[in-house]
Amino acid sequence: MYFNSLDFAVFLPVVFILYWFVTHKDLKLQNLLLVIASYVFYGWWDWRFLSLIIFSSLVDYTIGIQLSKQEKLSKRKFLLWTSILVNLGFLGFFKYYNFFAENFVEAFSFFGNKIQPNTLDIILPVGISFYTFQTLSYTIDVYKRKLEPTKDIVSFLAFVSFFPQLVAGPIERATNLLPQFYKKREFHYSQAVDGCRQILWGFFKKVVIADSCAQYANQIFNHSDDYSGSTLFMGALFFTFQIYGDFSGYSDIAIGTSRLFGFNLKQNFAFPYFSRDIAEFWRRWHMSLSTWFRDYLYIPLGGSRGGTWMKIRNTFIIFIVSGFWHGANWTFIIWGGLNALYFLPLLLANRNRNHLDVVAENKMLPSLSALFNIGVTFGLTVIAWVFFRAESVSHAISYLKGLFSSSLFSLPSVRPTNVLVLLVFFMLIEWVGRRQQYALEVLFVKRSRVLKWTFYMFVIALIFVFSNETQQEFIYFQF
Amino acid sequence: MRKFFKNIILFSILLFVAEKGVYYFLNQAPKNEYDKRLENIVNNDMDYELIILGSSRGANNVVACQLENQTGLKSYNLSYKGSNVIFHDFILETYLKFNKNPQIILLFLDHKFTFVEESTLTFRYDRLFPLSKYDYINDVLIEKKKKNVLSKFFALSRVNRADFNMKKRSSRLNNTITRCGSILNLKPNHKELVYNSEKTEYAQNLEEADRLNSFLNIQEQCKKNNIELIFVFSPNYHTFNTSFYERFKSLVQPENLIVVYDTLNLNYKKREYYFDSSHLLKNGAEMFTSELSDFLEKTNNY
Repeated sequence: MYFNSLDFAVFLPVVFILYWFVTHKDLKLQNLLLVIASYVFYGWWDWRFLSLIIFSSLVDYTIGIQLSKQEKLSKRKFLLWTSILVNLGFLGFFKYYNFFAENFVEAFSFFGNKIQPNTLDIILPVGISFYTFQTLSYTIDVYKRKLEPTKDIVSFLAFVSFFPQLVAGPIERATNLLPQFYKKREFHYSQAVDGCRQILWGFFKKVVIADSCAQYANQIFNHSDDYSGSTLFMGALFFTFQIYGDFSGYSDIAIGTSRLFGFNLKQNFAFPYFSRDIAEFWRRWHMSLSTWFRDYLYIPLGGSRGGTWMKIRNTFIIFIVSGFWHGANWTFIIWGGLNALYFLPLLLANRNRNHLDVVAENKMLPSLSALFNIGVTFGLTVIAWVFFRAESVSHAISYLKGLFSSSLFSLPSVRPTNVLVLLVFFMLIEWVGRRQQYALEVLFVKRSRVLKWTFYMFVIALIFVFSNETQQEFIYFQF
Repeated sequence: MRKFFKNIILFSILLFVAEKGVYYFLNQAPKNEYDKRLENIVNNDMDYELIILGSSRGANNVVACQLENQTGLKSYNLSYKGSNVIFHDFILETYLKFNKNPQIILLFLDHKFTFVEESTLTFRYDRLFPLSKYDYINDVLIEKKKKNVLSKFFALSRVNRADFNMKKRSSRLNNTITRCGSILNLKPNHKELVYNSEKTEYAQNLEEADRLNSFLNIQEQCKKNNIELIFVFSPNYHTFNTSFYERFKSLVQPENLIVVYDTLNLNYKKREYYFDSSHLLKNGAEMFTSELSDFLEKTNNY
């Protein structure tokens, strides 16, 4: 089920009413309702893949309990590796099998041996990358004794499949989300209103910003040979906003929906396009994934504790793995590698933690140097997104060649004024709200109800009007 | 919880009331359109004995007013450039729903592109969107999944972004709709054009079920409403595709007639009558219209 569908518009109020009015007296029943609702939400797309989530959940639930009983290190390690192999095995098969098969064949062909690729027609289960990482984090935390394993199977199933964040995150840690299923949730007016406001802003980002930009990004990327450098720049720019609006919009809807049910999920995006360097960008972009890789890959690999070479190696590993997590294509790997290259100078100069605050925290406008840094960082990410969006590495290279040609300074042939005006409006609101969890959090909140509601109605009107023509799927569903 | 529901309900009611203001734009949208033919159909403003359906071949290659003068049948051209047979089916169905039945329908065919996917021939949604204020049109858009069910209740779901553009649409010379609905190519296209005498085989395996169904539905509708249906193959600047023609004949019900342009007429091989390889200039359209009038007179069915 998609958030931007009529099905969800019916589903959400029904579950909300059942949750707060029918099952509210019994915590177990309330959790069970969330499990059922989550399975319906997921099964709406393809019920066959429910078995994968259920199997994965049961494996980790059982391993968690076994880990609590087991003191012997070798046996504990065995249990941990069983969980890792089962979870990554599913992910590897569904997501990466064809990639490895094709590249294996190509590698053989390179050495003169012709073999037929044995690829399979595999459907990628929606959200597999997200819930696999979520359930893996549980087992690893239990193994490291950072978390007591749960014996409450309903809570555990609800934690793995919690519908707001099941298919595209934020990737929650068991340490944050699981305990919320043990406690009785109370309905708080301010939390629910805040949730609605965040959902509204998420829809605006998705339907108005991302989908409008997608139209032009698709047009330009799909016919990139026909366009001038300046138009290709517009294409990359539109994709830059498309992916941000799409993914952070989904996160906002997920977090807002969770708040309606009394849950607090982690912030996933913190205005990344106002970052002053790449290190800051990665602290603000897809934070739940970045921190996952930091905690479960970078630090176990030695993190920054070793020598320079170790730092460089570990940085490249997490960026490349992060790229590969997004999809089985060399474009994603290069995108990750490129970001590692951007990051490297900061790491070597020990300047990767320079900007831990919010840009222009106590001021209305940034300083000139901050503005310059934001511009450079933004430009670098725009270039990297070309690899992310391109069909193949050769497509990305030819796209960038075309972009950095003499025609970069000509008038772009695709320049939709209405979308550009919207982007300016969007970025202004984002700038004003950059100190908050999401841009609309405090905007007009202390103003009169008339002004506040008029603004919300205007945003809703834009969502309706734009959703009439440009509706697209969420990009991150494919990962 | 009560406060939350109270505010949600109050906000929803206010939104529901305020959004009705959008009807101003919905009502204004058809007025800004240049091509009002579909709106006239929906408004029961059509009363013709002969109507012409088709894509740009139908729009460009026949002069409806001339046909009217020569046959005495009140004629109107309802061909839409770039439209496919599914759209022709929709136009016919809409016409019959809101207007008096015509006696004769001329359906211009797109030769070998009639039943196969061709990117330039589509269902012309752009003609329907400005008319979203009409429930019938909106229902069609819902059925075709171009609008959602909410558009039955919310003006905001019904309105299109283009409806907020209050500029009146105008037309260029070769897109001017004449009094009888034809859109004639008045200005020649000076691009080089070479007569293509190559014979090609028709690839039946590329046919699309939706297009075939619409084609059969057009025949059914005409039969049910006692309308004489005549299929028209208008001139092309290349050899007539007999391979497609054989396939086409197998899909035509026996009571319907087929007119193929006079392939032996050497004028149809002259560049001066063509705008491009499939579309005639005004002089070519007049020549072909005379041929059509002769055919209609010979069949003596009116």
